[in-house]
Amino acid sequence: MFFHIVLERNMQLHPRHFGRDLRDKLVAKLMKDVEGTCSGRHGFVVAITGIESVGKGLIRDGTGFVTFPVKYQCVVFRPFKGEISEAVVTMVNKMGFFAEAGPVQIFVSNHLIPDDMEFQSGDIPNYTTSDGSVKIQKDSEVRLKIIGTRVDATEIFCIGTIKDDFLGVISDPGATS
Amino acid sequence: MSVEPFNRLVKLAARAFYDDITTKGDNQPKTGRSDNRGIAVVVLDALTRRQWVREEDLAKDLKLHSKQLRRTLRFFEEEKLVTRDHRKETAKGAKVYSAAVAATGDGLHTGRDGDDKIKLHTHSYCCLDYSQIYDVVRYRLHRMKKKLKDELENKNTVQEYVCPNCGKRYNALDALRLVSPEDEYFHCESCNGELVAESDKLATQENGDGDDNARRRRRDKLKDMLQKMEEQLKPLMDQLGRVKDLAVPEFGSLQAWEVRANAAARAANGDSGSTDPSKSSQGLGFGGTPMPFVGETKVEVAFSGIEEKGEAIKLESGNSPMKILPPWLIKQGMNLTKEQRGEVKQEAKMEGTSSTVDVSDEKKLTGEKDDVKNLQDEYVKAYYAALLVKQRDQEEAAKREQELSNRNISDSVYDTSSERQVGMKSKREDVDEGVDDVEWEEATPAGNTGESSKVHDLNVQADALEDDEDDIDWEEG
Ligand SMILES: [Zn+2]
Repeated sequence: MFFHIVLERNMQLHPRHFGRDLRDKLVAKLMKDVEGTCSGRHGFVVAITGIESVGKGLIRDGTGFVTFPVKYQCVVFRPFKGEISEAVVTMVNKMGFFAEAGPVQIFVSNHLIPDDMEFQSGDIPNYTTSDGSVKIQKDSEVRLKIIGTRVDATEIFCIGTIKDDFLGVISDPGATS
Repeated sequence: MSVEPFNRLVKLAARAFYDDITTKGDNQPKTGRSDNRGIAVVVLDALTRRQWVREEDLAKDLKLHSKQLRRTLRFFEEEKLVTRDHRKETAKGAKVYSAAVAATGDGLHTGRDGDDKIKLHTHSYCCLDYSQIYDVVRYRLHRMKKKLKDELENKNTVQEYVCPNCGKRYNALDALRLVSPEDEYFHCESCNGELVAESDKLATQENGDGDDNARRRRRDKLKDMLQKMEEQLKPLMDQLGRVKDLAVPEFGSLQAWEVRANAAARAANGDSGSTDPSKSSQGLGFGGTPMPFVGETKVEVAFSGIEEKGEAIKLESGNSPMKILPPWLIKQGMNLTKEQRGEVKQEAKMEGTSSTVDVSDEKKLTGEKDDVKNLQDEYVKAYYAALLVKQRDQEEAAKREQELSNRNISDSVYDTSSERQVGMKSKREDVDEGVDDVEWEEATPAGNTGESSKVHDLNVQADALEDDEDDIDWEEG
């Protein structure tokens, strides 16, 4: 799920940036530092959308670095248990398949793939129904339900299922190629 | 608008889901005396016999403490079965009410309300929300089934993996670390052994350890539960199916309903020739909000002018035969059953009902309608008198006929069935009362005397053939 929230961060800035465009430098550094990171609490920071406020800088003794408390608005992505998500399959093996929903990796184990889909090894390993009408392989797009999340300080990993109503392949690259 | 099948749904749901609900404050001790299980069912049942009702009145009717009732109702509001409305009784509403009381000349009430300083009290009203109940019950059943099925199929469990070499356990959340570039299996982090999915392992070791047994037992229990659920909730599901295509009774918001109900009550009271507000307020206990009952019962107020309590009882007794109606009767639109109910009370109710409904729609025409109604009443009386005479005639005819058919029996050597046919033929051809009989039966559904006609049929020794005809008539009606 996406959220638009306000976060705060203390930014350290090298003295060489002190000048007319100090603020721009600060924002650029913030984006570089924050975007794409993951915090267990808030999820993945997708993009910074604005700066709320930049507090008074505090000069560090000895180094000359200055610490600015910066409040910024950003879009975060945080997967939840029970959430329905669309994801792109990245790897298929005998144990199931891996998929990515944006920055989040999701594993769907083979017992959470419908029983009528069988694993087919080969050049392009895939799961296929007995009549061949539905196929899950690399780059397939699937809709899945997240049934478990592991949230570390810097990483979120999910397991999902496609064994439920309206879940499964939503577009099949094998069908066109 | 037929409420009966929906009421049945409510009653079934109440007994299925709210039978052992206790509503009490958490701080109260759970003694045997304060055990109020079953109240929920009683309250729901009572609500099926009402539309919008003031909660105080309901409490009084049920001999419940209003606090207890409110707690129950709040619970049902959360359960989405009941809609509630709270409002301060305005000065205007109170005035209307006291005017009504004055008109009745009821000293007891005027004494209390006569003074102008009427405090504004917040009153709560409640009403069943049938369309929502239908959805809620369906959703509940769906969730119950889905939950059990998911558990049964291990749908939402996290897959576990075990290393056969060193016994280290992993689960699906570790998957990212376990994939190996060489093959398509997961590998142990410490010994690089090929991991085995837990359920596969269990499946191979059929009679394994206690854990396995526990799992199987749990599975059996779940299956059992699912089956029991299907069995025990079947009546409820059947009722849901029955109700599916029927129009849901809507009472609207309290205000809208009040306007409608008042109009209806006025119309009904205009019929009995007294001033309307007095009548309505008298019949309805106290308060500016009358509580007319559903459909035909409204008419009953007008006809007999009895009090609300007696009416409720009467309604109940009127309802009770409904429960045992055969399903084929219930299935085809409730018009029929309504008719039947009216019939049981053997008054000119049908005529009354239809006309009141009209009146409630266009209340301007009350005066005219009254005349029409009186006419209708008289017509009905005359009609019944005529019917009675005819019936008597026919009984006599029947006797004659019986003799005739007896003679036929003695004459004929046919087996029973064909003999009957002969009997009937002779009835139709030879006896002119036979023709009469046919005509009379055609009038049956409209004339609202189905039961008596049936009894009469028996007198005439209606044979299988004729009974069949009867059945068809009913189904078409
Ligand atoms: Zn190992």
